[in-house]
Amino acid sequence: MSAELAFLGLAQAAELIRAKKLSPVEYATALLARIDRHDKKFNAFIALTPERALAAARKAEAEIAAGNWRGPFHGMPYALKAIIDVEGIATTAHSKVMTGNAASHDAVVTERLQAAGGVLLGKLSTHEFAIGGPSFDLPWPPARNPWDRDHFCGGSSSGSGAGLAAGFFPAALGTDTGGSIRNPASMCGITGMKATYGRVSRRGVMPLAFSLDHIGPMTRTVRDNALMLQVIAGHDPEDPASANEPVPDYAAMLGQDVKGLRIGVIRHFYTTDVAGDPEQVEALEAAVRLLAEAGAITTEISLPPLQDFSACGQVILAAEAYAVHEQWLQEKPQDYGARARERLLAGATIRAVDYVQALRWRLKLRDQVAAAFAGVDVAITASSMDPACRIDDDEALAANYWRQARMPFNVTGQPGLVIPAGFSSGGLPLSLQLVGRPFTEPMLYRVGQFYEDVTGWTKRHPAALTD
Amino acid sequence: MNQELRDKARALGLDRLTDEHLAQFERATNSMEHHLRRLPHGMPPAQEPAHVYRAKGDVA
Repeated sequence: MSAELAFLGLAQAAELIRAKKLSPVEYATALLARIDRHDKKFNAFIALTPERALAAARKAEAEIAAGNWRGPFHGMPYALKAIIDVEGIATTAHSKVMTGNAASHDAVVTERLQAAGGVLLGKLSTHEFAIGGPSFDLPWPPARNPWDRDHFCGGSSSGSGAGLAAGFFPAALGTDTGGSIRNPASMCGITGMKATYGRVSRRGVMPLAFSLDHIGPMTRTVRDNALMLQVIAGHDPEDPASANEPVPDYAAMLGQDVKGLRIGVIRHFYTTDVAGDPEQVEALEAAVRLLAEAGAITTEISLPPLQDFSACGQVILAAEAYAVHEQWLQEKPQDYGARARERLLAGATIRAVDYVQALRWRLKLRDQVAAAFAGVDVAITASSMDPACRIDDDEALAANYWRQARMPFNVTGQPGLVIPAGFSSGGLPLSLQLVGRPFTEPMLYRVGQFYEDVTGWTKRHPAALTD
Repeated sequence: MNQELRDKARALGLDRLTDEHLAQFERATNSMEHHLRRLPHGMPPAQEPAHVYRAKGDVA
């Protein structure tokens, strides 16, 4: 299989499939062969579904041949994080606790991707229950970073990030409760969108923390991300947090420049609240300069300190997650890996009043952030403060949970798009995060694609995987 | 492992935690204390929490 095909973007592949220049069956077959050849090194998948994939690809190919092209996702290979239900397939959440837990229904996002003609390749590695961290005491090994397999690939949507960077598929879904789409996007040099809270249905996805959970697209490019969000976005009356807002055309603003856009720079997150790695900070400052030179009006904006969002978010997350896991932790604590068990036990002693106070604080933080965003079209800040650490460096892994600026936007529910922003001197990806007011995802895609086109960072792929 | 910690876990229904698990429990709750201490005091009485409850049939 050529690297060109492995790293083909969703948008490019869709055009080729529509024009009948690329067979969905041959595309899926080639990707499955690539996964078979390389995934032993990266552990992106915990379960492959080749028969199902080829059946879906054959169906798509026949429909397209008959003139019934459904849209850009028709015949498109994709993969799902292991906490997303697919009827008849185990939703294990990468945990012994859930082994053999066959889903009785598709998640809403699965239904939508299948209705669009997608070709499911399999279920992807995650940190246990989307909280555990890279663990070696689970039934499956942790995913590895394709840029350097001795390094962390981020999480908890770790297989999604690793598989995209390795050229195993052009699109995947991740979930994000405290940054779990955007962290692997940063570590693996790919593109991840945590859309506005309520934009994508959570129904059929194993919850971590109900009021912070988001499901979102992970791809290699911004355009691909917009196309995937288009498929999964929309109101779900059965999800109590679902937003009944019109779904815009997410690709509508792609190709526009940034002249005259008001871009807020949340600099204190990565300079004074937490001192970012110098190479990561310079990548962010270079991006700010690039946007200003392209005609954007950049101004520094201030939000409450990062530590406030972290405290508020972690109290809510721990309390809600413990409510989900309490019975299992009481009955079979030995079935959890050490990292997940420790992080989940943090919720055991939170008092009801503390949880409610955190929820009250949350609205106040939301209003403070909304006021700061009133004068800007979009804001730029860090996602991760550092490039990926070694996967066996426990201290650095622990720091990964607080050396980040993602939790603020789980707390507020605003959209956050993470894109590649260069490479460290050690050859590991650097990143930036664009944040908007609620439901302004098209604006994030506009700015993100402009930056991507000018810099070309997404054209680089891990050297060991360009065969 | 000290008895006080074991009793605390037992009161929460966590009576199957091993010594290793109890050490994790202790680290986890100590770590959460850091966040809990940061919760604000003196919020106005009428300040609502963030919640999604709506009566059945209510149109948002």
